[in-house]
Amino acid sequence: MMARLSMLLRSYRAAMLIYPQSFRARFGDEMAELAAERIARARRSGRVAVGREAAALLIDLVRTAPAEWSYAARAERPAAVHATPRDNMDIVIQDLRFAVRGLLRRPAFTVVAALTLALGIGANTAIFSVVNAILIRPIPYPNGDRMVTIWGVQGTQGQNGVVYADYLEWRAQNRTFEDMGAYRGQSVNLTGGDTPDRVFGMFVDASFLRLVGATPIQGRVFTDAETQIATKAPVAVITAETWQSRFGSDRAIIGRTLVLNGQPHTVVGVTRPHVQTPFGAPDVFLPIPYYPNASGLQRGTRGISALGTLKPGVSFENAQRDLRALAKQQEDAYPATNKGFGVELQSLKDQLVGSSRTPIYIVFGAVFIVLLIACANVANLQLARGAARHRELSVRAALGAGRGRIAQQLLTESLLLSLAGGGAGLALAALGTKYLATILVDSLPLGADIRVDGPALLFAFTVSIVSGVLFGVAPAWKASRTNVQDMLRARTGAAGYGHAATRNTLVVVQLALSLALLSCAGLLTRSLMELQRVRTGFDTKNLMTAQFRLPAVKYDTPDKIWAMFDRAVIEIRAVPGVQSAALVRAFPLSGNGESYPVTIEGRAPVAVGDAPNVQVNSITPQYFSTMGIPRLAGRDFGASDTRTALPVIVVNDELAKKTWPNTSAIGKRIQLTGDDRWWTIVGVVGGTKHFTLSENPLLQAYIPHAQRPQIFTTLAVRTTGDPLLLSKSIREAIWRVDRDQPVWGVRPMDQLLDSAVGAPKLIVRLTVGFATVALLLGAIGIYGVLSYTMSQRIQEVGIRIALGAESRQVVRMVVGEGMRIVGVAIAIGLAGSFAAAQLLRSQLFGVGPADVLTFSIVTVLLGLVAMLACYLPARRASRVDPMVALRAD
Amino acid sequence: MAPDPRGQLPLTAVVLHILLALTDGERHGYAIAQEIEETTAGEIRTGPGTLYGSIQRMLAASLVEETAPRRRAADDDERRRYYRLTAFGKRVLELELQRLSRIVRVARAKRLLHDTVGA
Repeated sequence: MMARLSMLLRSYRAAMLIYPQSFRARFGDEMAELAAERIARARRSGRVAVGREAAALLIDLVRTAPAEWSYAARAERPAAVHATPRDNMDIVIQDLRFAVRGLLRRPAFTVVAALTLALGIGANTAIFSVVNAILIRPIPYPNGDRMVTIWGVQGTQGQNGVVYADYLEWRAQNRTFEDMGAYRGQSVNLTGGDTPDRVFGMFVDASFLRLVGATPIQGRVFTDAETQIATKAPVAVITAETWQSRFGSDRAIIGRTLVLNGQPHTVVGVTRPHVQTPFGAPDVFLPIPYYPNASGLQRGTRGISALGTLKPGVSFENAQRDLRALAKQQEDAYPATNKGFGVELQSLKDQLVGSSRTPIYIVFGAVFIVLLIACANVANLQLARGAARHRELSVRAALGAGRGRIAQQLLTESLLLSLAGGGAGLALAALGTKYLATILVDSLPLGADIRVDGPALLFAFTVSIVSGVLFGVAPAWKASRTNVQDMLRARTGAAGYGHAATRNTLVVVQLALSLALLSCAGLLTRSLMELQRVRTGFDTKNLMTAQFRLPAVKYDTPDKIWAMFDRAVIEIRAVPGVQSAALVRAFPLSGNGESYPVTIEGRAPVAVGDAPNVQVNSITPQYFSTMGIPRLAGRDFGASDTRTALPVIVVNDELAKKTWPNTSAIGKRIQLTGDDRWWTIVGVVGGTKHFTLSENPLLQAYIPHAQRPQIFTTLAVRTTGDPLLLSKSIREAIWRVDRDQPVWGVRPMDQLLDSAVGAPKLIVRLTVGFATVALLLGAIGIYGVLSYTMSQRIQEVGIRIALGAESRQVVRMVVGEGMRIVGVAIAIGLAGSFAAAQLLRSQLFGVGPADVLTFSIVTVLLGLVAMLACYLPARRASRVDPMVALRAD
Repeated sequence: MAPDPRGQLPLTAVVLHILLALTDGERHGYAIAQEIEETTAGEIRTGPGTLYGSIQRMLAASLVEETAPRRRAADDDERRRYYRLTAFGKRVLELELQRLSRIVRVARAKRLLHDTVGA
């Protein structure tokens, strides 16, 4: 924060350059002091206030600069004969009138420049609206800024769920929280309608509803008594959306009975619309004691999620210390279940948006580079035009306009142009935000909505002003420094030479920035390609999955669950078009999955947190052959592996090799935390990617569904043709076993793979898009400069041709000149690329930030495009008729 | 030279408030900005450019002057310059306030303005 503040102040100092020197020398220090005090004060009210203050300072700067120039100009020539406008406003209006006239006189220039700026400003505003929606806007809860997520810690592993019993004690005994809430989301079966349905249920206590602001619009929400284990009341609260879509906003909904997970619940209330929880927007709220996982609320099970609101003025650290002390007491009081259990806090906002911060900043950085390049382009256009307007400016100077006055006039023009560009940019931004909102809809936390709102408008305005100053300063500076006599004496043709250095510098900057951006886009693209090439460990073609969860009330014994599963597999295998089928508790890349620490027979016990953490899955026989997971040793499960038979387990080669590097794993025994049985290893299979494509090889183990039947499971179906065609018949097959059983998440594997690379793909799409725009603008830049230089040197070229130079030689000369500029740009751009790539490090997979191949490809690409851009003016120059050229001017 | 104070009227809002802020004695720029913000309940926030731009013109018009460099206390910020009202500035302020109160009187007479009790 401190560093950022001093940077802000340094930028403010730099921005003061838009004032005349005399003013800066007299008041600069005092102004900086005032700005520093303002920012320091804003800082106490948070980051948003600092941003607002910075914007206010900037607007103040830009608003007052023209007046100071005119003041300085009048002071410079106090005896000037021209009438001194009585009021600054007169000057501004006069300048505006001039500017409008000047811009209209050159419509081509104006349109090109305004469109270039519109592109830059529009793209920036659109991306800013995402930054604003996700990173800046406070989370939509009452007191959201004081809300924290309460995580369980086990040994060294943080971010676990918490134990419900522990939570109740924390809630009663803490001194730092205003309130805490507990919740756990899970799909719920809603029966009684035409087809069984699955709805998104949230099992909560009454305080959770208060914390997330789920106020009722009909009836009431839960009372504290209703959500306690001892008094567990069969009630339900539905959301406004559910009330509307499922019950047609029926007024008689209160008091109606819904069958949820096989149990009748009375609807007592309807919440307001748009209620969000950290895990999405649920359809129905149920009291937390109804959470169906049998052990979910018991001591020792980290079954629930918890959040809380700190008391005003309580620091994060104090609250954490408070809860940790309570957790320590619990560790002593319940050594059997709480050994090694700790607690940690995370700000809720951080939990919700933390992981999207870097990708968003990457895209924001990319789009900002595009804006810089666009500004450089317009500055170059202005310079070219400034040269052409040389005579006009000279005449005005001779008639008594001071240097400051002319500079001010040019700056006014720039600002007008950039505001026009900004206006058009807003239209682009409105389109862009709509597009972004549709592609981001699934990845937005708390239903954040992306739109061009007040802050975005302010942002667009500020960016317009800043870019107007950015691309206006160089031309204004140039114009104000030229000597009147030189100006008038000079021939139009020669005037351009004075600007050559500035123009070339701008082009170098443009191309270097393009190259840096291209390199980043290239690295991200290669990283995505690597990710898509990752071997999942199973055959993804013609593979299909669907999920279902049995109601615990109806399937209340392991035998009933297993009987249902067994029959379901038989029914599905009989569906025409199904090659093979099996059940798996957590399908790879579906987001489900559980890991336990395991104990290995015959090894010394290790500390909690150090035990190998193994991802364990329950499957039916033929899962491996259905998925195409290679069997490396031993056997698959069979019909004889029943609940009463010897507990057997299959491990992946990673687990086998890590644990028994020198001997076979077959016949060894391991124990899973939370299960007393010793499981004998009967087979070894290949590993699969389970949670993400970029994860390191996991330690994995499989146990037979029959030996530990649980109510939730997933289908794995290998089909002979297009898997989507079978979704209906697969549902029906399950309904033949239980016609009340909802089935959801019917998806082909391709879709799961797609969403596994969804986020990186989005970043690649945006950065590649912006890099392409940057490259085009850069190419236009060098094309413009070369065309202009050649038009100024047409006589020289004419003489060369007259003296016998062949057109090939002329082309080579011109292209050579252009490529010298490109060469400098590439050298600087590559250095920039290496630096920028370091910032991407955390987002790269399978490719280093200094990837020579990527850098080579983008350099060649930039070189080729730039060469083409140089070739066009070169060819035009080589075709010049020497007689026409010599007669010109 | 004795310039006519009436030539300075009407004052801009910022200039008026700077003059008002200086009636209690000399102040440095930041203190002036602070007082303006407080007395106008945040309605007028003068940015550095606005404030010092006005001060520059007020110095030139002799409405205010910089105080003679003082012996500095050890903790006095070296950059701080203090400004105070000149006699001319005081006169201009008086005239402006009279002008404003005449306007207020007219408004009252036309019942456009009501006294708020206890305000």
